[in-house]
Amino acid sequence: MSHSFERLSLPAQVQSVREFHRFVRGGAGAAGLESEDMDKLDLVLEEILVNIARYAYEGGAGDVEVAYATDGGSLLVEVTDGGRSFNPLEAAPPDLALGLADRPVGGLGVLLVKQIVGSLRYRRENGRNTVSFRFPGPEVSASST
Amino acid sequence: MNIEANQLEKAVVLKLIGRMDAENASEFDEACEVWISQGAKHLIADVDELRYVSSMGLRSFLTVAQKLKKVSGSLIICGLHGLPRQVFEMTRLIDLFPIFDTPQEALATL
Repeated sequence: MSHSFERLSLPAQVQSVREFHRFVRGGAGAAGLESEDMDKLDLVLEEILVNIARYAYEGGAGDVEVAYATDGGSLLVEVTDGGRSFNPLEAAPPDLALGLADRPVGGLGVLLVKQIVGSLRYRRENGRNTVSFRFPGPEVSASST
Repeated sequence: MNIEANQLEKAVVLKLIGRMDAENASEFDEACEVWISQGAKHLIADVDELRYVSSMGLRSFLTVAQKLKKVSGSLIICGLHGLPRQVFEMTRLIDLFPIFDTPQEALATL
């Protein structure tokens, strides 16, 4: 089954995140997502986009594209960049057992993404990274709190 | 995000309102830094009206808490609910901070 994707491409920088949120919320509204789920979707997108903004182009400039398609009551989302190869599924998980003084302040973004969407996928094609997921994922129900 | 600061005898209460994301999380660090440089040891972040926090916000909370721990102080969090609470639970940060329902309850322990 093929889906019709809406697409938006912007500079890979932290200042683009809110514009991407507005863009994807259009699709989230069409899919009938609740307000709290929209915030979770914002969070997943922000974590993926901030990682790309900070690391993908290693200090240089580049673009990132977000695409979404509605599929019943869910959204299919794809985030693509042309930066260095990075598979977030292979990122080492932070040690959550460490106490306050020893706890690294970074590394929590990918953890949040994996916990919220469950079904994250990654592919590297033609020198581009694409992270894709379905939201809400099979592990997330609209009524979970 | 708006930050409203209220200096009390035993702590400074910082009420965070709105959304704390990658673009504005550093405003919280900076506000805390001002109070710490003025000698504050205990900061209370009242997040009852904060409806969104991302990992860049968590980074700010951790950075401030680690600074305060070094001077035998603390960053206390009050009013944690909704998505921010879920984020603190998923990352197990909820185990690292003193958590109270209200600033009044936190102040009573200082």
